[in-house]
Amino acid sequence: MTVQDVLGQFNQIFIDVLDEEDIVLTLDSTADDVEDWDSLTHIQLVVAIEKHFKVTFTTAEIENYENVGQMCNGVLEKLTAQTA
Amino acid sequence: MTTVKDNKEILSEANNSLLNHILKTIKEKNPRHGKKITKNLENIGDEYYKKSAEFFNKYALFVKGEGKDVDYGVDCYLKMIGIMMYEQVDFFRTGEYSCKSFEEANKAVYSNPEVMESYMHGLLLSQFLWNHHYKVLEFFIEQINSVKGQVNKYLEIGGGHGLYLSEAMEILGTNDIDYHCVDISAGSLEVAKKFVDNPKVSYRQYNIFDYDEAEKYDFITMGEVLEHVEDPVALLEKLGSLLKPDGMTFITTPTNSPAIDHIYLFRNAPEIIEVIHKAGFEIVKDFKIYSEDVSEKRAEKLKVPMMYAALIKKK
Repeated sequence: MTVQDVLGQFNQIFIDVLDEEDIVLTLDSTADDVEDWDSLTHIQLVVAIEKHFKVTFTTAEIENYENVGQMCNGVLEKLTAQTA
Repeated sequence: MTTVKDNKEILSEANNSLLNHILKTIKEKNPRHGKKITKNLENIGDEYYKKSAEFFNKYALFVKGEGKDVDYGVDCYLKMIGIMMYEQVDFFRTGEYSCKSFEEANKAVYSNPEVMESYMHGLLLSQFLWNHHYKVLEFFIEQINSVKGQVNKYLEIGGGHGLYLSEAMEILGTNDIDYHCVDISAGSLEVAKKFVDNPKVSYRQYNIFDYDEAEKYDFITMGEVLEHVEDPVALLEKLGSLLKPDGMTFITTPTNSPAIDHIYLFRNAPEIIEVIHKAGFEIVKDFKIYSEDVSEKRAEKLKVPMMYAALIKKK
């Protein structure tokens, strides 16, 4: 799986959780770029991502992720570690 | 009618206000949270700006008396938000509150003055930083005004930071009214004592289940306490035993609101109403508001916290 594959799946998760059909994420997207991405929906997004990819983030990771790319790479690292 | 733009302008123009300083500091230190609370304060109404300015000025004087400044309060608030984030993550993963017993909460929070002081400052600021907390305060003020002249003996249970007591005293006055404030935490009572700053109040440290009073109360306020106990019906029954037959009570409690010391999980308003009825009370007037401006359907899907408030009396 590539980071672009993860990004595509992230996009659908963001659409589902935030209920906004026209979201188009890039790896550089931050909460400033997505209207309803705030501190509460951030946690809802993270937990939805965890369930989708069957991974678990640490609380420090959840707190410190600043953009979509960091989160996508975080997922990729965890998936790689699972298959290693 | 005030538009979103008007309120945004008020927020941006009042550059020197304490509110703006606080919002700016929060945005710098926790951008996603700053975004959330700023968004939620849009459309809140003109009265908010007047009332919040009075509150933040009073708060600034209060912390100054402690040798601190408003930034101390903001740090406490952000610390509380950080702890709440851990609890929210756990809640969205498991669907349950992590704290399972009163003893656990008592050890971690109520009997720890340092934790409690920081928590009380955070909660106090949230009363004017969270739209839903402010709206519930407005509802409380409306209910207290409706009983003006009928109260001789007033009790607040779990007075916390003292804001509700302070508002009640301002409306009901202090002549010929006995004010009592009972809280399990010494740290909480200390904060309330200093914030209310009125010698007419008798502060008493008790677990409310061990508290009794020969002459019963005309009015009891108990904000955000039901979720802190294992058996909310038993707590309301205890409250009923402290009330005069025609006495009134004001209660609030949240749904889906994970916190370090929240034990009893109310998932929706009907569950709260059922507890009120089971304890022998009827609802005179109630009010509910979600923490975010979303539809009821989305709020339920995303488990958005809701604050429920009610004026109740014994059946």
